[in-house]
Amino acid sequence: MNLDYAGLFRALAPETAIVVGALAVLGVDLTLLRGRSLATRMNVAALISALSVLVAFMLNGTCPCGRCWVGASGPVFGGALMFDSLANATRGGILGLVLLTIGVSTGARINRNPAEYLSILLFATVGFLLMAAAQQLLVAFLSLELASLSLYILAGFDKTRPDSAEAGLKYFLFGGMSAAFLLFGFSLLYGLTGSIELNHVADGLRHQGISPLLIVALVMVIVAFGFKAAAAPFHLWAPDAYQGAPTPSAALIASASKLAGIVFFARLLWSGLGFSAGNVSYAFTSVGWLPIVAVLSGVSMFVGNLAALAQTNVRRLLAYSAISHAGILLLGLIAVSRNGTSPIFYYATTYGIATAGAFGVIGVLERQGGCDSISDLAGLYRRSPLLAGCLMVFILSLAGVPPLAGFFGKFYVFAATLKLAGLAGVAGWLTILAILFSAVALYYYMVVLKQALVVAPAKDATPVRVPIAAAVTLVLAAIAIVAFGIWPSVLLGAV
Amino acid sequence: MTTLQLCLVISSLLFCIGLVGALSRSHTILVLLGIELMLNAANMNFIAFWRFGASPTAATGVLFAIFSIAVAAAEAAVGLALVIAVYRHQKSVRLEEANRLKG
Amino acid sequence: MSLLPWTIYLSFAGAALALTAGTRSAAAARWTALTAAVASWVVALLAAKSFVPSNAAQTLVDVAWIPQVGARYHLTADGISLTLVVLTGLAATAGILFSWNINERVGEFFAFYLTLIGGVYGVFLSADAFLFFVYYEIAIVPKYFLIANWGSTNRQYGAMKLVLYSFAGSALVLAGLIWAYAISGGNSFALGDLAAAATTFTHAQQVGMFFLVFFGFAVLAGLFPFHTWAPTGHVAAPTGASMLLAGVVMKLGAYGCLRVALPLFPVGFEFWQPVIATLAIIGIIYAGFVALVQDDFKFVIGYSSVSHMGFVLLGLAAATPRAVAGSVLQMFSHGVIAGLLFAVVGRMVYERTHTRQLGDLRAMPLHKLMPFAATVFVIAGLASMGMPGFSGFPAELSILIGTWTTSPLWTAFAAFGVLVAAAFTLRVMQVAFFGKTDAGGAAHHDAEHHAFAPITLAEKSGAVLLLGATILIGLKPDILLDWIVPALQSPLMQTVLKGGVQ
Repeated sequence: MNLDYAGLFRALAPETAIVVGALAVLGVDLTLLRGRSLATRMNVAALISALSVLVAFMLNGTCPCGRCWVGASGPVFGGALMFDSLANATRGGILGLVLLTIGVSTGARINRNPAEYLSILLFATVGFLLMAAAQQLLVAFLSLELASLSLYILAGFDKTRPDSAEAGLKYFLFGGMSAAFLLFGFSLLYGLTGSIELNHVADGLRHQGISPLLIVALVMVIVAFGFKAAAAPFHLWAPDAYQGAPTPSAALIASASKLAGIVFFARLLWSGLGFSAGNVSYAFTSVGWLPIVAVLSGVSMFVGNLAALAQTNVRRLLAYSAISHAGILLLGLIAVSRNGTSPIFYYATTYGIATAGAFGVIGVLERQGGCDSISDLAGLYRRSPLLAGCLMVFILSLAGVPPLAGFFGKFYVFAATLKLAGLAGVAGWLTILAILFSAVALYYYMVVLKQALVVAPAKDATPVRVPIAAAVTLVLAAIAIVAFGIWPSVLLGAV
Repeated sequence: MTTLQLCLVISSLLFCIGLVGALSRSHTILVLLGIELMLNAANMNFIAFWRFGASPTAATGVLFAIFSIAVAAAEAAVGLALVIAVYRHQKSVRLEEANRLKG
Repeated sequence: MSLLPWTIYLSFAGAALALTAGTRSAAAARWTALTAAVASWVVALLAAKSFVPSNAAQTLVDVAWIPQVGARYHLTADGISLTLVVLTGLAATAGILFSWNINERVGEFFAFYLTLIGGVYGVFLSADAFLFFVYYEIAIVPKYFLIANWGSTNRQYGAMKLVLYSFAGSALVLAGLIWAYAISGGNSFALGDLAAAATTFTHAQQVGMFFLVFFGFAVLAGLFPFHTWAPTGHVAAPTGASMLLAGVVMKLGAYGCLRVALPLFPVGFEFWQPVIATLAIIGIIYAGFVALVQDDFKFVIGYSSVSHMGFVLLGLAAATPRAVAGSVLQMFSHGVIAGLLFAVVGRMVYERTHTRQLGDLRAMPLHKLMPFAATVFVIAGLASMGMPGFSGFPAELSILIGTWTTSPLWTAFAAFGVLVAAAFTLRVMQVAFFGKTDAGGAAHHDAEHHAFAPITLAEKSGAVLLLGATILIGLKPDILLDWIVPALQSPLMQTVLKGGVQ
């Protein structure tokens, strides 16, 4: 094993920048800003965090000039990390989504400990970044746990609200259990192949058939994946966590965490366990993990879309919409063998922008009077035309209306799954199901937009004042949704 | 039955006991204990596979177990902190009372 | 010709400008919107002036767009698209003139309105199935807001029903198109390439794909039994939006059937042809009878739209060159006439009497109180019945004659539908405008009716535009037929059209 520490340091320059940023946020807050107002502390902390994320963004990937000392491509540190184009693109996407979340947090309800909040958010980011590149079971597990533990704290961060604590606890209990499943599955994979390198695991599995132990391992890994992706029937934590967690935390859980998770598991399942995938393209499916994923996908679309129809709380509605979107992401995962990972990368990234943006709008409203039920959005077009316009873009993108990015994401995934074998098998029929469900989904998205853009404001409604940083962030996110929708190649070229 | 198989049976039992405990108990601390049991079952697998596996010279399995023990400790710290946060609000750590969020 | 894409861009730019202008003053937004609509119409007319009919579509723009999926930004125009583009410009301009009295959130109204128009132009010019679909869906969502915000009776319900029907239809289309695209190898969305690949599909695939694509589009064209969104949507919509909905949006569906479903899947079409014709005929007659018994003036017009669109679909189902040419002509004709009818009912009458119940209107001698409205309605009604001298006549005649060669029985039923249309039009004309001239309490009525605001200049000019178009085409249908007929001789169309060329 060739342990190249210099190469590792170069490859992990973005992580380093973010850790330095996290420490700087804490340090500045503890020393220079003692006794300052909460708003100042929040803004300074957000500024430093945003800067460190921007630096990380610039350090990420390989510089085209070829002379820079940062960046990496190919396997690093004896194959523990893999910096292929997918990893670099995903890391870029994660950093963008984290930046969006930081912007969202400046507009959300004021937090009593802004520096701690943002530094934990940055630690979670480090976890996401490593997840995107992990090529070895130990690194995979550690990065996943770093991200998850940070997210549990972020979900339960608002100590003044019982909802937040409850959301954090529920998220933690489900997440902890899924981590145990994952670890158990990893231990069996190690036992079966004698290695924790994904390449060697793949080699080992190629030479042995499907054994009972392997099936147990696959099921365990898929269960953990189901939890992470919030796929039904492992979705129970999601509505509670989305509803109770502080808004920026919910935005992060729904966006960057999801992108990192789907890429992480795509790599794990396809490059590690690809030989035991099985087949769902034809009517006679064969044993492997693909049939399980297909079932999860179908159930998620059913549960997510139908439950969303009944929601009155806007965050719970977004949670169930997230579950239905997880169903489509799983569909994209099925098609990786034929079309590569660019459909799921595009889908997860643009979904993340739209959903984090929607949470951003909710966060701004929450700070000024609350935004629990959908009817609290009433008359948004008059209270803040800017927020109403942004919300329209985000929600329509979630609904998959062209020319917004959500449409191309769906289209690309559907085309990929149908290319497998048309309607000859489960995958094809799931795709048709997903397309039909998108018409159902439009209903609940339109219910939200009806409140925001059609219903007159309540009598005592006041205009909403949008903090400038949050306004800039939301407008940029909306522009990104439109631009990526009209020119998908910009994003696809990165993968 | 070889020693490896015996170890696997025991670890599977541990995992199942932990899972049943985590799913059926309503006391948060007991759920946490169940999760810890599940994690330790996995650790036991790593050690067993390392000891009786093909290449006991490379310390992979042990390393993995050590790291995962550290992670389990961190997880317990976060978990207990959240339990305390919930306790402050509802003066109880029973899960059936944590039902503010539903719909 | 090469200016034609600017119809799309001008509309979208107009939408953005109207939105900004609306924050200043309502008048600014109105004039901005009118300028944008007229400008794109002028572009369309200029293109029409220099148009040389040919059987090959003329490429306007063709650049790579999303190389990863093989989608191109490919706009073309032939006689059919040009006809509908000119119609769109006309309907959009007239619709804005009839929306002049919108007073609330004016900027937003015209922003949604012009976005819809831009999408419609885009659909008519697209030659790439992906692009076609993108523009098609852009035209869906604005309808919801137009109706839900500025509509009348039951507007939330009507808007939601309309948008869900449209979206469900477009989901079917999307499923069919992606399926065809995926099986064809997934390299190109050009309609020609897809049609070429479709010749290798199995019979079952063609039948399935045609079902998805055709019936998906037909939802928007108001094919029975998927038509129920149309009357409720039209009634709930503000006048300008009803004019657009009936005038051009329903044409989007029919155009999709003609441009995408038929040429791509001729084998599937053969399978479904009798079903489509039967449903179209049921639509013509059923909607006609329903219109005959309606009490709400606007519902009568709403159902008459469904009935007239049935003729379009019947012409497509007959698939002879003459019938299809008649269908396209009918699309134009109905676009103009339905716009006129909705303008009279929704703007001229309803905005002044505040009732659409035929029972109430019967009590008012509207032909005396609103002679202009009555005159326009009578002319439009005659045109709608298919009187010679108006555009409806050559259109429906071509459809009936063209259908005869395919099946005389269909023609017989459809001819019966023409009679029903005449019946309900005459009835509503008589009841609404020539009710009791002076039946007691005249003094009371006079006091009330003299308060009617006079017909504004905007309304008059809009009505004159539309009337002029229907009479012009009625007298000289060859203007449009000279464009349409060569377009039907393109290789793509010839695979599905049978029988000799006209």
